[in-house]
Amino acid sequence: MKDVETRPKKYEGVLILAIFLATLPLIIGFSLLIISSFSKDMVTNFDFKSFHLTIENWINVFRGKLAITGGVKVNMAKIVLNTLIVALGVSGLVTLVSVMSGYALSRMDFRGRKWVIVSLMLLHAFPGVALIVGVYLLYRISFPQGQDWVRVYSFIYVIFARAALEVPMSVWLMKGFFDTIPWEFEWSGIIDGASRITVWRKIMLPLIKPGILAVALFSFLAGWQDIIYVRTFLIDQTLATFIEANIEAEYTHMPLIAAAGTLYLLPTIIFFLTAQQILLRGYSGGIKG
Amino acid sequence: MKWKATLLMAILVFAVIASGCIGSTQETKTETSKVTLTGDFTKDVIEIGKILQQNGINEVKFAAWGSGDPNSVMRVYGIVDAAYKINKIWEQNGIKVKITVTTKYDQSFKDQYQEFLSKQPLGQAGDFFVNSYAFLPTLAEEGYILDITEYAKAYQNVIDDFYPNLLEAAKYKGKLYGLPQDTEARPLYVRKDVAKCAGLDVTTLPEDVKSGEFTWSDVYYWAKKAKEKGCAEWGLIHRKGSAHPDLIQFIFAFNGKLYDPSTGKLVLDVPAVYKWLYVEWKFAQDGLLPKDIMSWDWAKQIHPTIVEGRTLFDIGGTWYWTEWQTKQYYHGRGLKPEEVKEWFAYTLFPAGEKGDKPVTLSQPFIWMINSKAGQLNPKYEELKDVYHALAFLMIVKASDSEINAIHSVISAHLPVRKEAAKLIKDENWLNKLKNLDLDLAPEVKDNIKDIVEKTVNPINAKFLADVSYMLEYTHLAPAHPKYPALADIFKEAVDKVLRGEMTPEEAVKFIEDKIKADKELADNVEIKGEIPKEWEFPRGD
Repeated sequence: MKDVETRPKKYEGVLILAIFLATLPLIIGFSLLIISSFSKDMVTNFDFKSFHLTIENWINVFRGKLAITGGVKVNMAKIVLNTLIVALGVSGLVTLVSVMSGYALSRMDFRGRKWVIVSLMLLHAFPGVALIVGVYLLYRISFPQGQDWVRVYSFIYVIFARAALEVPMSVWLMKGFFDTIPWEFEWSGIIDGASRITVWRKIMLPLIKPGILAVALFSFLAGWQDIIYVRTFLIDQTLATFIEANIEAEYTHMPLIAAAGTLYLLPTIIFFLTAQQILLRGYSGGIKG
Repeated sequence: MKWKATLLMAILVFAVIASGCIGSTQETKTETSKVTLTGDFTKDVIEIGKILQQNGINEVKFAAWGSGDPNSVMRVYGIVDAAYKINKIWEQNGIKVKITVTTKYDQSFKDQYQEFLSKQPLGQAGDFFVNSYAFLPTLAEEGYILDITEYAKAYQNVIDDFYPNLLEAAKYKGKLYGLPQDTEARPLYVRKDVAKCAGLDVTTLPEDVKSGEFTWSDVYYWAKKAKEKGCAEWGLIHRKGSAHPDLIQFIFAFNGKLYDPSTGKLVLDVPAVYKWLYVEWKFAQDGLLPKDIMSWDWAKQIHPTIVEGRTLFDIGGTWYWTEWQTKQYYHGRGLKPEEVKEWFAYTLFPAGEKGDKPVTLSQPFIWMINSKAGQLNPKYEELKDVYHALAFLMIVKASDSEINAIHSVISAHLPVRKEAAKLIKDENWLNKLKNLDLDLAPEVKDNIKDIVEKTVNPINAKFLADVSYMLEYTHLAPAHPKYPALADIFKEAVDKVLRGEMTPEEAVKFIEDKIKADKELADNVEIKGEIPKEWEFPRGD
């Protein structure tokens, strides 16, 4: 028996077509970007006469060379590494906080619990831009004066600031995942003599793997694509700020930026391709007898 | 409940003590070291090196931020080279201090300015910042850049070698906040073969334009003739964008003003703006200028149309000269210097009409020093003056006529110093540059060798020498904080008249309404004059 609602086959084609048409602008946009990254000229419309196959753009991106001729060189490996540090940092922090808080909110009764649950959504409603003044002020009064730590601190601060924006929604999501797991699972563990922490770690976490992965993935992407906080606080460049600082239509060799843009897209594509099965896999377990 | 009150009081007392501690600095009685510049570069550098060494500093870290087109990298490598030369002096004199410079070069100068604005208060912006003069007043007003007036007094001989109008662009309220790094002119390019086909003699054109004999009425006349005779697809191609700073040349060419220094306000000079819009409208409606040029693509439409000879005239910039050589705009390849020379003539931007003067427009870039320069170095508070004086000496060195001349030749910008202007005419020096047989930092040599190979040749040097006179006719767009907003309105109006959506009269009214609708803009812009009723364009023959 299927676990989803089924519809008559005759409408299937229409639905697929509608979904395809709705996503067509995105598909075209990304396709043109990827095609342009392999072309000498940008392919900005359906006139493929401007497409001349080359891998020069990719070679130049990896060499950190921004122009066909010129001495503008950047350390692309370092830029990618910076982006990864921010993205993985945000992902790790958000996942850790939300997995623990989600469990607490789902399972434990404490004073102000209801208020915390309600305010989670409210917190998520605040866009990063609106908070930037406060976050900026906090950074100004908190950053270390010692030269050795400023660079490291800027990474830590960006990770914390960006993670703070993701935590409310992630906690809410994790709480939802924990809510779906019957109490009996925990009871049986506790009866067997396990502590709450052990139950959380050994029984609950394996059961909500898809949820953890979803939270980790989305927070990774939030960190990967962040531009406002990274540009404001981070001393070093990430891929987002690098691309932003080098889009100057008159000067820039745009196919090279298309290659950098495609590189920027890669983690998203790879994550979705590899993780979609796990994400779609719902809870499937049994109650210990 | 007593314990709760006690706890609350304890927390309160702790908070008060803690808040008192935050931000407090321990008073130390370290002797501060100051340096007085003498004007003798080597002597000053040695003096600074000794002070740093005495204070146990063996490495000074600086960051140079620059931006612009890919060929303009000397904007940061000039600083790298200055560090190399200062290090050499220290080494020769047994001073064990070294300057290391990290560079950051972005292509969008506006984005980098925004980044500087947000990071300067955090002490994370570059110690050196080269950007448009237009941003200098804001940065100076905020205290984000160093006032170098006092330092400069010791180096008056260097200061005097800069072109005075460019030096003015580096000043704010009478104080010097930087040194000019480069500038440019915006010539009117004329395609020689198309001109010949139409019957226009380009040999006397620069002189005719200079004397005010050849005006925009003549540009229209010949553009029309070239099109009618089938010599070219278009009569005129111009730049696009925010109408800043390229198209506002029309305002100056029609003897208009954009800024009133007596009131400190921007000016909407209605007669001049009307004439500008009329010219745009007339050219576009007669099919001499593309109606949709404001949305043309630089690499696919604008430049190929010019280099393939599909237009008689083009309003461009001096940097086009080498850009056409280094980018593949001509049927998938760059032009050879000989081709650029053979195909293009260049003149000043002609006068609007008889009695007016020809013009050009410059946007000088300025080497500015972060007011927190050296902040990430040891003992910054004690040695602040020393770090700042060192930073000043670095921009003095980076402004060496040789560095300035190299930048001019490889990026087709105009020299900002008279000595540099002389140097680019020197064939021997040019040969040395071609072979990179100059005393430059190895890192700099390594990074500019590709550009040097493509751009250093007598043809390009002669072009720069030829157009340098244009600086005598140059205007600067106002460095007013509300100017970008006004330029954006101009852009909208130009686009609308080109597309035929508005007549020039309607467009002027549109600009006035837009200004009045924005209270801040209305407070900062004076609207002067009226649309001239009897004015005619073009000439009747």
